Amino acid sequence: MTVLSIFFALLFYAATAIFVIGLARKIMQYARTPAPLKIPTTPAPVTQTGVVLRMAREVVLFASLFKSNKWTWLFGWMFHLALLLAFFRHLRYTIHPDGVFGFMWPLINNPIVLAFGQYAAFAMLLGLIGLFGRRIFVDRVRYISAPSDYLMLILLFAIAGTGTLMSFVEHTDIVQLKAFVLGLITFNWQNMPADALVILHLGLVAFLMIIFPISKLLHAPGLFFSPTRNQVDNPREKRHISAWGQAIDDAEANKA
Amino acid sequence: MYLPRYIKQLVGILGVSLLLALPLTSQAGDLLPSIPKGKGDKCVEPTADMRINHMEYILHQRDDTMRRGIRTSKHSLKECIECHNAPAKDGKVARVGNKEHFCSSCHIYSAVKVDCFECHTDKPENAQYRHAVKGNH
Repeated sequence: MTVLSIFFALLFYAATAIFVIGLARKIMQYARTPAPLKIPTTPAPVTQTGVVLRMAREVVLFASLFKSNKWTWLFGWMFHLALLLAFFRHLRYTIHPDGVFGFMWPLINNPIVLAFGQYAAFAMLLGLIGLFGRRIFVDRVRYISAPSDYLMLILLFAIAGTGTLMSFVEHTDIVQLKAFVLGLITFNWQNMPADALVILHLGLVAFLMIIFPISKLLHAPGLFFSPTRNQVDNPREKRHISAWGQAIDDAEANKA
Repeated sequence: MYLPRYIKQLVGILGVSLLLALPLTSQAGDLLPSIPKGKGDKCVEPTADMRINHMEYILHQRDDTMRRGIRTSKHSLKECIECHNAPAKDGKVARVGNKEHFCSSCHIYSAVKVDCFECHTDKPENAQYRHAVKGNH
């Protein structure tokens, strides 16, 4: 084992722990946050199934963003779709085709991922450039942009950029890299390739995992907790009451 | 014993994630693909370099051969196959798409598509391995 591989192995265990625990705590916090008012943005679905469909439209198509701003939607959606493809293209590093999870191989070894997974990199970079340009060239957006808004875009651009370079310009030993990743997962550590781009790419990803639970990227789980999107429009059919409101009601009832 | 709530949460989450991670360890074993050994002593380029850049050499050779008419054997796919996919002792030759094939051993492992063999042969050139001509011709 090289010192570099040991360092990265420990770094990824730490980053994963911080990512998983931090995210779980945030989700619990969101789930516990009271939503005392019935405030679905109308026209809103009047059934739970309708809400699921509305949420799906938000998650898959970014419906609200589309209604609000076409340019932001275009670049944002482009980036996220490319991210999804890149995710599936990266999944190959974590699954051994002959291993226990070999049954998931078709998720990786299918024509869509094989054909577009690699080229999604360009859509991702383009989307990020567009979103960065928006922060610089749109006055209203520049005024409200905080350093972390820029940092996130730069960080994602650097991760996508190093990945794209490895894919198309300066290759690395991906077989050794996969052994390293599988070694992390199975607690059977292996060496990683010592190329500058791999080191940079993995280091930045670890950094992203570490700051994810305290960053604006929490919009990913946060979306599901938006009261204006996840509530059924049935205030007359069913009285909306939060847990603490119910407690007060019960106390009143007991007094009487 | 009094413990702050977030400590309890941490312990709980850690415990659950460790339990979830247990089945992963059963994936252990051969983490690297088994790569069939070549016929020759050493490759045309250092092994470490070939592992990273073989596709560039082969594509570059293709452009030289096909577009410029320079036909050499150093980076020729035919020579790769001659050496790396020599028949086994029982005379059998591994086919592409099969883990025993030199190219496929890693290409399957890392889910990288090879399109060389859509046109080129994946077997060494040797009359012995050709099908006998059947029927009247």
